[in-house]
Amino acid sequence: MSVALAVAVGGLFAVGTFLLLRRDLVRVVFGLAVVSQATFVYLIAMGGVAEGARELVPVLDTHGGGVPEIADPVVQALVLTAIVISFGTTALALVLSYRAYEENETIDVTEWVR
Amino acid sequence: MAPDLTVVTTAVAVPFVAAVLAPLLYRVLGERTGYAGAAVAAASFGLLATQVGSHGTVRSPWIPALEVGLQFTIDGWGLLFALLASGIGVLVFVYSARYMHGESGLARYYAALLAFMGSILGVALASDLVFIFVFWELTSLSSFVLIGHYTEDAESRYSARMAMVVTVGGGLCLLAGLLVLAVAARGALGGVTFDLAAMLANDEAMRASLRESGLFVPALALVVTAAAAKSAQVPLHFWLPNAMVAPTPVSAFLHSATMVKVGVYFLGRVRPLMMSPEWVLLVATLGLLTMTVGALLAVAATDTKELLAYSTASHLGLMVAGFGFDVVYGGEAGTFHLLNHALFKAPLFLVAGIVAHEAGTRNLDNLGGLWRELPITAAITGVAALSMAGIPPFNGFYSKELLFEATYEVAHEAGGLAWLYPGVATVASVFTVVYSVKFLAMFVGERRAPIADIHRPPLALVGPPAALATAAAVVSVAPQLAVDAIVQGAVEATATGKAHLEVGLPTHFSPPVGMSAVAIVGGLATYPFTERLAAGIGRGVDAPIPVRPSGWYDCAVSTATTTSARFGPLVHNGLLRTYVFWVAAAGSVLALAGFAATAGVPELDVVGVPLAVTVVLVVAVLAGLAVVTASSHVAGVLTLAILGFMIAIFFILASAPDLALTQLVVETLVLLLFLLVLQRLPSFYADVRPLVLARDAVLSILVGAMAFASVLLTTPGPDADPSSVAEYYTAQAVPGGGGSNVVNVVLVDFRAFDTLGELLVVTVAAIAILVLVTMRIRGEEAVTEGEEEPVSDGGDLP
Repeated sequence: MSVALAVAVGGLFAVGTFLLLRRDLVRVVFGLAVVSQATFVYLIAMGGVAEGARELVPVLDTHGGGVPEIADPVVQALVLTAIVISFGTTALALVLSYRAYEENETIDVTEWVR
Repeated sequence: MAPDLTVVTTAVAVPFVAAVLAPLLYRVLGERTGYAGAAVAAASFGLLATQVGSHGTVRSPWIPALEVGLQFTIDGWGLLFALLASGIGVLVFVYSARYMHGESGLARYYAALLAFMGSILGVALASDLVFIFVFWELTSLSSFVLIGHYTEDAESRYSARMAMVVTVGGGLCLLAGLLVLAVAARGALGGVTFDLAAMLANDEAMRASLRESGLFVPALALVVTAAAAKSAQVPLHFWLPNAMVAPTPVSAFLHSATMVKVGVYFLGRVRPLMMSPEWVLLVATLGLLTMTVGALLAVAATDTKELLAYSTASHLGLMVAGFGFDVVYGGEAGTFHLLNHALFKAPLFLVAGIVAHEAGTRNLDNLGGLWRELPITAAITGVAALSMAGIPPFNGFYSKELLFEATYEVAHEAGGLAWLYPGVATVASVFTVVYSVKFLAMFVGERRAPIADIHRPPLALVGPPAALATAAAVVSVAPQLAVDAIVQGAVEATATGKAHLEVGLPTHFSPPVGMSAVAIVGGLATYPFTERLAAGIGRGVDAPIPVRPSGWYDCAVSTATTTSARFGPLVHNGLLRTYVFWVAAAGSVLALAGFAATAGVPELDVVGVPLAVTVVLVVAVLAGLAVVTASSHVAGVLTLAILGFMIAIFFILASAPDLALTQLVVETLVLLLFLLVLQRLPSFYADVRPLVLARDAVLSILVGAMAFASVLLTTPGPDADPSSVAEYYTAQAVPGGGGSNVVNVVLVDFRAFDTLGELLVVTVAAIAILVLVTMRIRGEEAVTEGEEEPVSDGGDLP
């Protein structure tokens, strides 16, 4: 229920959306990246954010023994996947933009519609 | 005797399995696939026949959390319907094998016919509402394929789509009605359940629960609308005559024993649950109205199949009306007529097919005196048509007499306007006699138009209707035999109280017997004036006032078509920002509306996270704003990198070192990639129009607000317990995965397939990038080398 987290996520999503609506294609790719980053923060927030501490890191001390209280490993696994996928998406979007520029000789998306 | 789950499930599943295999079978067997289909239908019939006399519910759980299970209830009513569908299925497949000789698309035809039969069996036997709905919709889908069998024919496509729209639209009403029932079960049975058998067992509690929540009438209206759409009740009857464009065996199957009976069947099924004054008013009126309108339109029909189609609507009305009345005779009329109608209507359709096949026309005005060339067919028609007319001692008479008794009893008790019930029923029956005689007339008398040589139909075409007519004759001679065998069980299942059906020829005069006499004598007396009557009805139908429901249908469909043709270009105009705008705006508004409607005000904690986290996030948002205001692409990339590295620090502070490590590597790579690409791109274009900027800002704030609200409302508080999934993975990391880093174990062990998929995505992206970068260069080289020769590089050349 943290307002600070919510404001950060909301702000990043707003910035990302604004960038997605630009006519400069590179800025659209920027927007894609920002929205991805906002999603990471959102996912981490779903697991709850506590004061960082060594004990909370989801790496268990020993093989065996009791199960300690740790930060939610599920959201971390999800975000790890998301980081890699968003890397792939951003890279592909960038090269697509480059290729689109070569074909259309402009990166203004409004000029693509003829 | 309790039913056997394996036997019942097999009986329902076999047609579906055969439907999947039908294309293969067709390759091996060719046109003999029809006989294989008959064997499948016979197998289902045999399996179900072993269950006759058993009674009870069998269940195998499917989604226990929602209490959804594969549940079948075996009783007389379900078995009667299922046996009729599979039994007539056998004959229809045999008939098809010959009738569809030389047609194309037979693999699809048999697959759809098998799937259709399986869905009907499913509807008849399932007693879990979810499964009933699924099978119900499957009948609509497979009948769509069957009605539209001649895909080249525009009329066929039009009719198939009409049947689809009407019956699937009805199916949506059913879905809503079933959900209302499931919710009402919360009060009556304790907990949401989809178990129809339990609802029927506790019908009083269910009714009380529905009444209490004020949902009784909506549930009733929804269920009856669904049944009316499926069973072609006025004003949704118009799809049925159009559906006759299907091949004749399909019409015989759809119209006699299966598709259109589904609605009637379901009304009989929920009758004990929903019986109330509202039910009587709605269902009985609907049924009698359809009975009359259908009979009138059948009298005016000139095409053999059209006549039979309207007659089907009329007889469905009879069954619906029977189920509508809250007297014992009503339920008896409905159940017994379900059997009788199947036994006389299926052979009549098959006969219409034979006549069309051998005489080459379906126009009743041109057909006459066919008994000379088609004596056996004429005899079959004699039995079936007289039964349809309700002339004693043929089987149709018994069930129609039961309806007369029901209407008379209701009118006698209620008095007043209720006397309309027997009056309307009698008038409808007069017209029933007229059109039955009209159909029969094509075999008697003199030839009306010269018809070239008429062949004797082959045995495969005459056999199936002859078998059905024989069955009808047996029921005519010994009705009590059929009643004892299966109809009595069906009557008990659909009755609101105790019921014991006894049928036979009347031995003394009573008002219902008088009604029958009036109907028969009136019908025979009216027959000579058929042509004038038909002309009058035709004028009424063609009247300029919008009385034709099919006109409303055409209007609705064409309006929808033109509206979507206009709406499409508006949202799909090829501009990226338009797509983003509609998707983001619609998603945000829907999510915010959902939150506003359901969530309360959460307990707010102004900061709620450690100070360091707050600082890092503030820097991240500021970096984001800097990306927006950056004056060049390079400045944008650098500020974007600041944002990315801030997120990495956020990961460290949130106790996620693995993520931070990955994020740092990925951010560095992305920075390099951007710089590599940017040097080849032109400098940036700024948006200068303030109006556009303002509009985009509003949408961005809307999306931001949605994200803000959903974080506030859905994230757990600081003291919340970890989720059960998280607990499970943490506890099982060492014993189950053999690793102490829980995140790694989740990725490479518990969710290894997801990670494999992720690797695949990255690989595909890498290949795509490689192709995008290299293909262009190669294409250009090829062009410069060979000037004239166009090089195919995926159509990318200018």
